[in-house]
Amino acid sequence: MKNYKICIIGFGAVGKGVVESIFLKKEMIKQEYDAELKIVAVGDSSSSAISDDGLDERLLIETKETKGNLSDYPEFGGNLDGKDILDKIDYDILIEVTPTNIETGEPGKSLILKAFEDGKDVVTSNKGHLAINYKELVVSAQKNNVQFKFEATVAGAMPIINFAQETLNSCNIESIIGILNGTTNYILSRMTSEGSSYINTLNESQELGIAETDPTQDVEGIDAACKTVILANSILNIDATYSDVDVTGISDITSEAIDLAKKDGYLIKLIGEVSKKSLKVSPRLVKQGSAYDLNGTLNMATLKTDLAGDVTVVGKGAGSLETASSILTDLINIIRLK
Amino acid sequence: MRMDLVLELLDVPGQLVSVIDPIGGLGANLVTIIHQRDIKNQKGLIPVQLTLEGERENLKKVIEKFKELNISILKIDGKVQKEKISTILIGHIVDNDIRDSMDKINEIDGAYVSGFNIKLDGEDKSSALINIEADFGKKNLIFKRIKEIALQKDLLMINEV
Ligand SMILES: NC(=O)c1ccc[n+]([C@@H]2O[C@H](COP(=O)([O-])OP(=O)(O)OC[C@H]3O[C@@H](n4cnc5c(N)ncnc54)[C@H](OP(=O)(O)O)[C@@H]3O)[C@@H](O)[C@H]2O)c1
Repeated sequence: MKNYKICIIGFGAVGKGVVESIFLKKEMIKQEYDAELKIVAVGDSSSSAISDDGLDERLLIETKETKGNLSDYPEFGGNLDGKDILDKIDYDILIEVTPTNIETGEPGKSLILKAFEDGKDVVTSNKGHLAINYKELVVSAQKNNVQFKFEATVAGAMPIINFAQETLNSCNIESIIGILNGTTNYILSRMTSEGSSYINTLNESQELGIAETDPTQDVEGIDAACKTVILANSILNIDATYSDVDVTGISDITSEAIDLAKKDGYLIKLIGEVSKKSLKVSPRLVKQGSAYDLNGTLNMATLKTDLAGDVTVVGKGAGSLETASSILTDLINIIRLK
Repeated sequence: MRMDLVLELLDVPGQLVSVIDPIGGLGANLVTIIHQRDIKNQKGLIPVQLTLEGERENLKKVIEKFKELNISILKIDGKVQKEKISTILIGHIVDNDIRDSMDKINEIDGAYVSGFNIKLDGEDKSSALINIEADFGKKNLIFKRIKEIALQKDLLMINEV
């Protein structure tokens, strides 16, 4: 049996989901892959818990949820920051799940680069650094001969990067067109079914916790644009960064436009498009009843391939355990290759 | 009877065969075929001219088969084939001279505005759905031109995927 020491930086919705999913799946991983996962460190914005012998998954979540931090984790709590955690402990795989920052990519970027230089494999769900520094990160991982996986960055639980790279590896992928943001899909779906205005629907989504208090990243298409960049680089081999994407959000969409579209057999959706010719996120007309006719917070993408024709994937684009599922898949894939 | 067709094919191996293959089986004969790989249009597609001979019914079946195979038919017996495309514009459409916008769209080669529906949103902004009859294969060019008009007039344009 091989042991893998896991370090998790960022302990919000996704970080907690990762810990929970490790708790739920560690027996299966032991049996199927002959590997034992041990969480040796967890850090959030101001606190940490570290133990070489492994931390208790349930106690980590309970401590964070009741105390709001990790310094109160019995015996092993403290307040080291991310970089100090990486310096202090011996670990094999870093799971970087800090907030997305598309200005600097920090703190995730520095943590990941440090892990690479220290010869560690990395799994991330953070889109910021990849959207602005994709090449730098991937080149550094290659140079240091480590594995770097980021399935969760695009559409949470919906398989797409590994799917394209591993399952569709006989095909050349010519374009990817999809609904890559659940919040805006929810808003547009509600506007379509209720005939409500953009602003009222946004407020309702915020009350339901589907849209964030500051909804800019979602409604202005920034989040979808980050995903578009990651797909362009990882699947279509296009050397692009965030500033190459032509981005239009949904905040100018009127209920009248949705109604006109509906009467003509169309829906309005925020669509990300990736091809050698075009890199854009914009509201588009899609045919009712087509693969793009998808309601609520679900995400989807159609990959145009040379051999297999069109292949469409659908799935949950967000959620704690849902996003963690992709991170765990990446983790298992790393272990399998070791 | 005879029928002349102009098709548009991708420049990849097997494309021409996939077009010719069904013809015999549907009871039609191929009389001539002109396939010039060195003439590509703006989209990188190759025009192929076919002349077929057969019963009217069988020729109809061939057309249906081509449509089923997603092969673009540009012309049948010299007549340009049309497709319906739609776009939505949002913004100060009325203030920005609707007439002029429509005229400009109608001036685009291969485009004809066949439907127009406008709704006002409160005071100023309006939303308009425009249906266009487009010559087959011109869709992207037409959208590109409308986009230019929309940019000039600061309108949001929503296109089909
Ligand atoms: N939520 C989803 O469904 C989803 C889906 C796909 C991808 N993602 C991406 O996954 C990442 C995490 O998302 P999330 O929903 O878990 O976010 P979140 O709930 O806001 O959690 C972020 C975590 O990062 C910690 N953090 C902030 N700054 C830090 C720093 N300088 N050093 C160490 N930790 C720091 C926060 O600490 P405190 O707890 O102390 O505030 C918090 O624990 C984001 O990049 C997001 O874009 C999320």
